Amino acid sequence: MNRRLIESVLPPAATFVLTTAAAEFGIRAAGISPLLLPTPSAVARAALQHSSTLLPALAATAQSVVVGLSLSIAVGLLVAIALSTSRWVERAFYPYAIFFQIVPIVAIAPLLVIWFGYGMRAVVAAAFIVSVFPVIANSLAGLLSVDPALRDLFRLYGASRTATLWKLSLPWALPNVLTGLRIAAGLAVIGAIVGEFVGGGGLGVVVLEAMRQQRTDLVFAAVLHAAALGLALFAAVNATSHFALRRWQNQEKDA
Amino acid sequence: MRRLEASKWVFALAIATLLAAFACGGEDAAKRAVAGKFAIALNWKPEPEFGGLFEAQRSDAFTKRGIELEITGGPGAPVVQMVEAGKVEFGIAAADEVMLARDRGTDIVAVFATYQTNPQGIMVHASRGLAALPDLFAAGGTLAVEPGVAFTKFFEKRFDLAKMKIVPYGFSIAPFLNDKEMAQQVFVTAEPIAARRQGADPQVFLIAASGFNPYAAVVITTGARARGEAKRVADFVAALREGWRGYLDDPSQANAQMGALNKEMDGETFRLGAEAQQPLIEDAFTKEHGIGAMSLARWTELGEQLRELGLIDKPAAPQQCFVDVDAPSGTPPAPR
Repeated sequence: MNRRLIESVLPPAATFVLTTAAAEFGIRAAGISPLLLPTPSAVARAALQHSSTLLPALAATAQSVVVGLSLSIAVGLLVAIALSTSRWVERAFYPYAIFFQIVPIVAIAPLLVIWFGYGMRAVVAAAFIVSVFPVIANSLAGLLSVDPALRDLFRLYGASRTATLWKLSLPWALPNVLTGLRIAAGLAVIGAIVGEFVGGGGLGVVVLEAMRQQRTDLVFAAVLHAAALGLALFAAVNATSHFALRRWQNQEKDA
Repeated sequence: MRRLEASKWVFALAIATLLAAFACGGEDAAKRAVAGKFAIALNWKPEPEFGGLFEAQRSDAFTKRGIELEITGGPGAPVVQMVEAGKVEFGIAAADEVMLARDRGTDIVAVFATYQTNPQGIMVHASRGLAALPDLFAAGGTLAVEPGVAFTKFFEKRFDLAKMKIVPYGFSIAPFLNDKEMAQQVFVTAEPIAARRQGADPQVFLIAASGFNPYAAVVITTGARARGEAKRVADFVAALREGWRGYLDDPSQANAQMGALNKEMDGETFRLGAEAQQPLIEDAFTKEHGIGAMSLARWTELGEQLRELGLIDKPAAPQQCFVDVDAPSGTPPAPR
């Protein structure tokens, strides 16, 4: 157990230490202006010095991301279930679901402000728009890949559609749904920050302010906070996945 | 094991790319230097605020001084960083950005100030019956400004903004046109004219009138260039001054040229913008010292204000912020 912990923590920690040290000495040795590329130590200093700005901003962004992502999960799953009910429905609507994947969020972000007003609603909308498609696409793929033999078995026993959905399709699709969530979690953070560029609040505005005030170190610090938020969500999805799929994974190992 | 090998190569490649990106910063510039060329990065689309530059380009004011100029940049261009990295020789920025850049450890200097009076203002709907900026802050409503601009800090210090909802300015006047209680930052030469032409009844309060008046549309370069190539920089400034003289007298030809590059702005808006900015560029001080001249007193005042606002840590040495290329001794012109 202890050894497994070391094996999982040591490689990323070593990468972190080595890259940070390389960047620190590389930037210093090359004499690059702090305006162009700050050293990791300068970024860490900025993060500490401006923690009273960064932490509330992080909380605001996190709130929008969680709301946007939750909407994506709810809407994305419902849409995927609806699309999986019949080939006709899928053919009629799936092409339009793809729209969400290709919509250039930066281009429509200013419109979100006109539709939803300034503030959190526009930010949540931006997070939702960019994160809903991976949920739809992956969930649908999972729902459509149910083993036909099992489906026949359910039909043979006269299981209702609802029972088939709850007891067969959804559990079967769960690994795919979670894959979709992993992708959606990262995208939701990006969407929220773009939303904040136009809607206001959170880390997005901290980035804009720091850019304007030529605090490149603070820009990097804010970006790192956003990355940490993405990582936390990713870890949360992984933990859920580990918990939900434990039974299946153990079975696979036994087999 | 093989995967580790591969990732090592990817890492090395990434580092090499990064280093190359920084190393080649000066390469374009080196090529231009051999050919006797300069490049200037704008911070916005071609609009009347750059009228003199385009007029100088059009009227051969640069070429007759042996300068071939390439005009580049645009909205969102990191102009100060581009000048600092040597991607371009000159750039357009605001005086407060120059002082901020110096405080952050760079050697950026101003060589020419287009606007003696800062053309930035706050636009409101005239129907609200407000007489000045303090009235707006007392009345409240939404105010759209670029996050992080120095004048917002100035407002926070000087006025009570508790009633204002401050939101990012997305460079579109649509939200303003949609909301009668909305106010936003503007360049007097652009947004108010566009808003009026779209049927609104805008009213503008100049920020300079409330006591914060940094030089605007300032031409910047590095201190090293200003000292090392003093003659060429002086020629550049002389050409620019000639261009501005020409533009103030007759903006029509430069406007037509800029209009071809910026199709979103029609000819009438160009004409009205050029007219609106005239008194902000030419005043009693420039009549004595020349268009674009700057004073030590103004730079000293700006340094003090930025320090009070907490934007810079210590008062920057104001005489280092700008180069008076007209005075070979380096003495700035007399304060007004």
